[in-house]
Amino acid sequence: MSRRVAEVLLLSGFLVLAVLLFRSTASYPESVQGSTAMYVRFLGAALGILCALELIFTLKKRRDDDNPPEKMDIAINPVRFWGLFLLLVIYCTTLSTLGFYIASALFLPLSMVLLGARKPLTILLTSGGVLLFVYFVFARLLEVSLPMGTLF
Amino acid sequence: MILQALHALFTPVSLFAIFIGTTSGVIVGGMPGLTATMAVALLIPVTFALEPLTGLLLMGGVYCGAMYGGSIPAILLRTPGTPAAVATAIEGYPMTQQGKGGLALKISAVASFTGGTFSTLILLMIAPALATFALTFGPPEYFLLALLGLAGIVSMADDENRLVKALISGFIGLVLAVVGTDPISGMLRYTMGVTDLFDGIAFMPALIGMFSLSQMLELTGTKQVVDEAALATTKKFKREPLPKGISKSIWLGSLIGTVIGILPGEGATIAAFVSYNVAKRRSKNPQLFGKGSPEGIAAAEAGNNGCVGGSLVPTLTLGIPGNSVAAALLGGLLIHGLVPGPELFTTYGVMTYAFILSLFIANIIFLLLGLFMAPYFARISMTPTNMLIPVVCLFSVLGAYAMNNSITDVFISLLFGLAAIILQKTGFSLGALILGLILGPIAETGFAQALIIGHGSYSIFFTRPQALALWVIIILLLITPMIQIYKQSKQEKKEQTIG
Repeated sequence: MSRRVAEVLLLSGFLVLAVLLFRSTASYPESVQGSTAMYVRFLGAALGILCALELIFTLKKRRDDDNPPEKMDIAINPVRFWGLFLLLVIYCTTLSTLGFYIASALFLPLSMVLLGARKPLTILLTSGGVLLFVYFVFARLLEVSLPMGTLF
Repeated sequence: MILQALHALFTPVSLFAIFIGTTSGVIVGGMPGLTATMAVALLIPVTFALEPLTGLLLMGGVYCGAMYGGSIPAILLRTPGTPAAVATAIEGYPMTQQGKGGLALKISAVASFTGGTFSTLILLMIAPALATFALTFGPPEYFLLALLGLAGIVSMADDENRLVKALISGFIGLVLAVVGTDPISGMLRYTMGVTDLFDGIAFMPALIGMFSLSQMLELTGTKQVVDEAALATTKKFKREPLPKGISKSIWLGSLIGTVIGILPGEGATIAAFVSYNVAKRRSKNPQLFGKGSPEGIAAAEAGNNGCVGGSLVPTLTLGIPGNSVAAALLGGLLIHGLVPGPELFTTYGVMTYAFILSLFIANIIFLLLGLFMAPYFARISMTPTNMLIPVVCLFSVLGAYAMNNSITDVFISLLFGLAAIILQKTGFSLGALILGLILGPIAETGFAQALIIGHGSYSIFFTRPQALALWVIIILLLITPMIQIYKQSKQEKKEQTIG
């Protein structure tokens, strides 16, 4: 996807959001029609105008420009980027079932291997060290509550 | 009384309490998701077992240390330890990438020390008079103060097109801040029935996602945080002197931070952004901002640390906390039977002055810690990314969760992380978005309350002298960048015509 297409899509999405936001204030209670509803209406209107303005700028540029469209690369290394993102989603999902320690004990080494770490001892020591640090500093010393699992 | 206070302060127990408090504060502030408020609140039960003065010194040390600590991961990993360190991350991280992480940390330590010391001096000298002035601020002024912070969005744009995009980003932030409970009617808005959104989108998870997780995802394509070309220079940072010309930004930040800190409810984040914005306007090298400007770090850090003393002015004199940390500290004072007001400076004067004076020592402690430990902290940026990314991701997830013990917040963080990458690649401004998200609730409440007080008339925003003074400052802050953008765009058009 070219950068321009992405920009147009985003701006169109924001424009729709602005319109919906503006319209939604009609359902606000009568008592706040002159205060918070007014504020939200202002936000909707301002966002809508700015998005429309930027859309015109972007589309106008497209007509003027003879150069090939600039490609939008989200990641330098797509396998690692999307692999890490997927691992993060799985990690966050499993936090509430496996609990913090087990989910983290799986996430840390897997992501290290994904990102190119190959020394088992380094991976093991880093993962173990981080989890011990979290246990002693966060859980014991600062008494920060960590995600609890339903299975363990 | 001051002499008695000094006598009480210079005992081994008191000095040890300040040292432990400040060091713990630096550590807590340096961890994403763990805030100074949380640390002070956690300390309150601990101080039960201690002498009241020792407890207060411990809490004051944590407050000072945490405000500085937030800048360390912001500079090295683009992970702001506290929301107030966002502006520091914008300038500090590019410096780390250029191999100047150690220097950035040094600037941050010196600026934080100056800001903290200056505001403590103000607290010591003119606290009651300033507190009375702060009380004259009403909802219209708070709305305008939020506008003053939002004026910083214009500074984040460098040409005509980017200005519109920066403004859109700021408005997206303001729109996101609307999610939650209506501050006037109590009605739930745009929460989609998700209980965790009833209080709105928490800005710490959003911040962690946008600045930390997005950066870690970006780093998957590189081997090290520091650019290959800059690796050679990284080893020299120990000998690097402070850049010339930053003292102006430091003093400016200290002053702005102290004034904003005094206003009840205002926080270090606004102070940091306003200081950063003003420093950019007055800088001789505004083109360096956003690309690793020492002046930017100096102003932002002096600004957020200037808030420490400032926020204690209304806390100690009127019992109105200047910000959330000061509120937690106020809880600690009340538990020990110290009721804010004139008595605090007369009957309990020895303890109060000892507490204020201890903030000077806390500032010295974190300055020394910052200066001597900077080279060691900076080594974090040399860690291979295959080890660094998973560990920072884990702490980011933990930080996002720890604020409200909410898994929803973790997913919000992840969502903001991915959105941040897409927005950045398409030219939108993350700084503007987060500014909108943080200042949104203050702006909305101030706007709505002012209109209610003014019976729906907008003239309330223009009639009071304080409001008029704020309008003048806002206009002055906006005029210069607008002229610059206009000139730049005119120049570009001229060049295109010639070409």
